[in-house]
Amino acid sequence: MVANNANDVNQANKAENTGFLYPFIDAEERDSGALLTELAESARAKTAESAALQQATLTASADQVAACAAAMAKRFAAGGRLYAFGNGGSSTDCATFAALFANPPGGSSPAPRGLPALSLAADQAVVTALGNDVGFDLVFSRQIIAYASPRDIAVAFSTSGSSRDLMTALREARDRGLLTVGFAGYDGGQMASSETVDYCFVIRSQSVHRIQESQALLGYQLWSATQRALHPLMGASQ
Amino acid sequence: MLDGGLAEDLADASLAMARRFAAGATLWCVAPAWEPHAHHMAVEFVHPVIVGKRALPAFALTGPDLVARARVAARSGDILIAVAGSRDEGVADLMRRAPAWGAISVWIGSGGRPPAGAADHVLWVDDPDPLAPATGRFVLLYHLLWELTHVCFEHPGLLLLSSGGAAFPHGSAGEDSAMADCCITCSDEGRLAEVLEPPASVFDRALVRTETGLEAIDVTLVAPVTVGDLVLVHAGAALTRLGDA
Repeated sequence: MVANNANDVNQANKAENTGFLYPFIDAEERDSGALLTELAESARAKTAESAALQQATLTASADQVAACAAAMAKRFAAGGRLYAFGNGGSSTDCATFAALFANPPGGSSPAPRGLPALSLAADQAVVTALGNDVGFDLVFSRQIIAYASPRDIAVAFSTSGSSRDLMTALREARDRGLLTVGFAGYDGGQMASSETVDYCFVIRSQSVHRIQESQALLGYQLWSATQRALHPLMGASQ
Repeated sequence: MLDGGLAEDLADASLAMARRFAAGATLWCVAPAWEPHAHHMAVEFVHPVIVGKRALPAFALTGPDLVARARVAARSGDILIAVAGSRDEGVADLMRRAPAWGAISVWIGSGGRPPAGAADHVLWVDDPDPLAPATGRFVLLYHLLWELTHVCFEHPGLLLLSSGGAAFPHGSAGEDSAMADCCITCSDEGRLAEVLEPPASVFDRALVRTETGLEAIDVTLVAPVTVGDLVLVHAGAALTRLGDA
């Protein structure tokens, strides 16, 4: 019924060129071919943009990745743990990053070593208890206080680089002697200018999505470099 | 990076998802081996990073026995999306059952591909590296799904589900269902059904679930059936039982 009436409008529209009277006319679009072509082109363009940003990021941060991985490897070799934290989508990316350390898939050679790494956003009881009792800004720093020792590593994932709960946790971690690592986007936010972050990786983009895609690859590279750096430190036979 | 028609597959999946969302769908996300991906997909749709984009209902399903969880959670018209390798039998089973629950299925993965028709939409990265799921490749794919789905919302005329506005047009409106479209005997309609209660006796009918709801059907031709069996229904009778994947 609606479609019939609308078709009438469409016909009248063509005859009298009165389209401006019917701003809802797009609702009569029926051929999805043009849209599907547009969507596929958009997917290709965004993928190219993502790949270019990843490449630029890896090139710009190659030395920093190697240095950070060496520092992390030393701490793992000394029995340290890694704590990763972030908000929203970044909390899931930090969980993937932690899982890569803790439980790397087999199949490659040399077999990657499992290392103690935890996501501080993973436990809903702890996160909601802290959020409710002491405020959300402290959900990660309170866990650092409870869990961390000076030989550990704190890794924060953010796109803005300025989330208060992350900055508070990084400050707490730094005060306790942890190695602190930050992933940020845009211009790096507070992480880039803060003395509390030993290694800050800034993905220079304005898109949250593209930033996260580059952070994921950079996190993978950092894990991979840490594995290589650990090899001589911990012995191949272990 | 979007080789082998992946860009076109993303476009098709996005339009199908947008159509479902427009009709009230909930998105159910699973990723048994990499659960953070399930959470990331859900939060992407529920709380968009771009201000002003509408929040859409999406949940991550995690933990053991995802088939049992999804069976209870999914309503007809919903969307089931998985991030998993093609050898994940639990996910293959989920994708297989989705049409009986009235859900469309989207399967994201890498490495060896699942068999043809394993899901309504297969979005595949042909990279054999077992670490590919941790490199951001999948993050890109579901970011694109989200972005393209929202582009579709700018084309309301293309979001209507098939003629007559049927709420659950599985196999219509350009959506390909995995296996429920065609009766293998007469080339007429054959719908996928999941057995809920086998018949109490040979004179009774079985209670099954299909995309349109619960119905009692004759299962004489495929007897005996047990709870959870998948059968193809035509004209009130089960014609074929689908074997395990």
